[in-house]
Amino acid sequence: MNRILRLIATLLFLGMALPAHAALRILATTADWGALATELGGDRVNVYTATGALQDVHRVDAKPSLVARARTADLLVSNGAELEIGWLPVLVRESGNPRIQPGQPGFFEATRQVRLIEVPSQLDRAMGDIHPLGNPHVQLDPRNIATIAKALTERLAGLDAGNAAFYRERGAEFQARWSDAIARWAAKAVPLKGIPVVVMHRDQAYLRNWLGLQELAAIEPKPGVPPSAGHLAQLVSKLSGTPPRMILRNAYNDPKPANWLAERVNAPVVLLPFSVGGTPEAKDLFGLFDDTLNRLLAVIQ
Amino acid sequence: MSLLSVDFSILWPALVAGLLVSVSHVPLGQQVLARGIVFIDLAIAQVAGLGVIVASSFGLSIEGWGAQAAAGAAALTGALLLTWTERKRPEAQEALIGILFVLASTAQILVLANDPHGGENLKDLLAGQILWVSTEQLVRTGVLTAVFAAVWFRWREQIGRVGFYVLFALVVTASVQLVGVYLVFTTLIVPAVATYRHAANRQLVLGYAVAGASYFLGLAVSVVTDLPSSAVIVWVMAMLALLVHLARRAR
Repeated sequence: MNRILRLIATLLFLGMALPAHAALRILATTADWGALATELGGDRVNVYTATGALQDVHRVDAKPSLVARARTADLLVSNGAELEIGWLPVLVRESGNPRIQPGQPGFFEATRQVRLIEVPSQLDRAMGDIHPLGNPHVQLDPRNIATIAKALTERLAGLDAGNAAFYRERGAEFQARWSDAIARWAAKAVPLKGIPVVVMHRDQAYLRNWLGLQELAAIEPKPGVPPSAGHLAQLVSKLSGTPPRMILRNAYNDPKPANWLAERVNAPVVLLPFSVGGTPEAKDLFGLFDDTLNRLLAVIQ
Repeated sequence: MSLLSVDFSILWPALVAGLLVSVSHVPLGQQVLARGIVFIDLAIAQVAGLGVIVASSFGLSIEGWGAQAAAGAAALTGALLLTWTERKRPEAQEALIGILFVLASTAQILVLANDPHGGENLKDLLAGQILWVSTEQLVRTGVLTAVFAAVWFRWREQIGRVGFYVLFALVVTASVQLVGVYLVFTTLIVPAVATYRHAANRQLVLGYAVAGASYFLGLAVSVVTDLPSSAVIVWVMAMLALLVHLARRAR
């Protein structure tokens, strides 16, 4: 027993004595914000991502490394707009880490940097399950990514002043590549304008907005609550009159509802990455939009 | 991430939570197993969750004491209902518990279907995670556990059937929020199954040993492997329980 204790103590000591990594420690809540932080911080940052692309970010299993990172992080990059409300506030509060508390420079919310859509003008009880702050899934509009990247670059420069020049230079380089990419995507996406689609939930709203897709209906109007028989019957009868060109499903969605509808309205299901890592092709933020467009265009060509 | 970089101060609240839950759940579980009502904790947890959802659909605050009161009241109602059914239909008690579980779960869906602020967050309101335990929760559970221990070890004969169900409802409503439903079920049932063939006077001590060692070992394994702690503890407890169970048969 004594030897084990001594071994543990030695290991702990070694752990502390390892070359102190000067890198800024970042905790990102989703794969997209983790990818952006890596894109902007390069080797000056050490990014830990709390959820994988195929995980539902609403629910997160507490792993020791997640709690450990929350305690030591210099910067928390979260989505905000209540997306992580089920676990992040508890984690931040219990971390006892003063740097990442709300209001501190180490607390960064992506959705704070952009205009949210679908903000309820008032709490309309008939609207169903709505986020009071607006639709939080902002990452699916690349113009939002540009705005958020700008704010995150400044945040990195402020937190790690010694490397501020590095972050600004890298940020400018990213902005240049990103705006080229946006122009390329916009040209490529022209045929998608006005294409009628059915979505799973409303979480593709920003993509739909950016591409000008026409949303005919949502299969599950309330996330987490199975659709009623009446809703499904209405959906089928409405769509048989005006059939969609495709049914969009995010990689993390259950395939069953989309396949069910596809059988009845004779439209293909298109699987979209939704998040970096959602498909093998969506390796980074550029890949996310390249792959999303490729998959959409494959259907209409 | 390896053992090296994990701050040990993240583990002690989880360990304390696990040990507190064990204090009440091991003896309760032995009763539950003897009565053949092993799924009662799942049913009570669902009823408590239903209470919170119903309260919020009436516009009551779902944060803080409002939720606690709603959960506790619902759990107590469920417990009293089960006391009544055990008296009226003892032969079907386990089936009735199962039915209560399904009814409470589906009632949540029905209430949420018309609740504009429903949705997935609310459903998970009462699902705790052992690593995210707060000090305040520990203090509250500590007090509750002390009350439980006093009642259970001094007046168990006097509290009767109603007392058992009431105590059970209150303890489980608190522990589900602390460590989650998988660990609650495991801490109740697994030590009880591990020890029921051992000598009667050693069952409780052995059960405590199984539960305590599992939380300790499970958390350690979870740190080394960086796997979700609750699931690891469940598996460690099941394996330790198997050893303890077989140790009896070998003799």
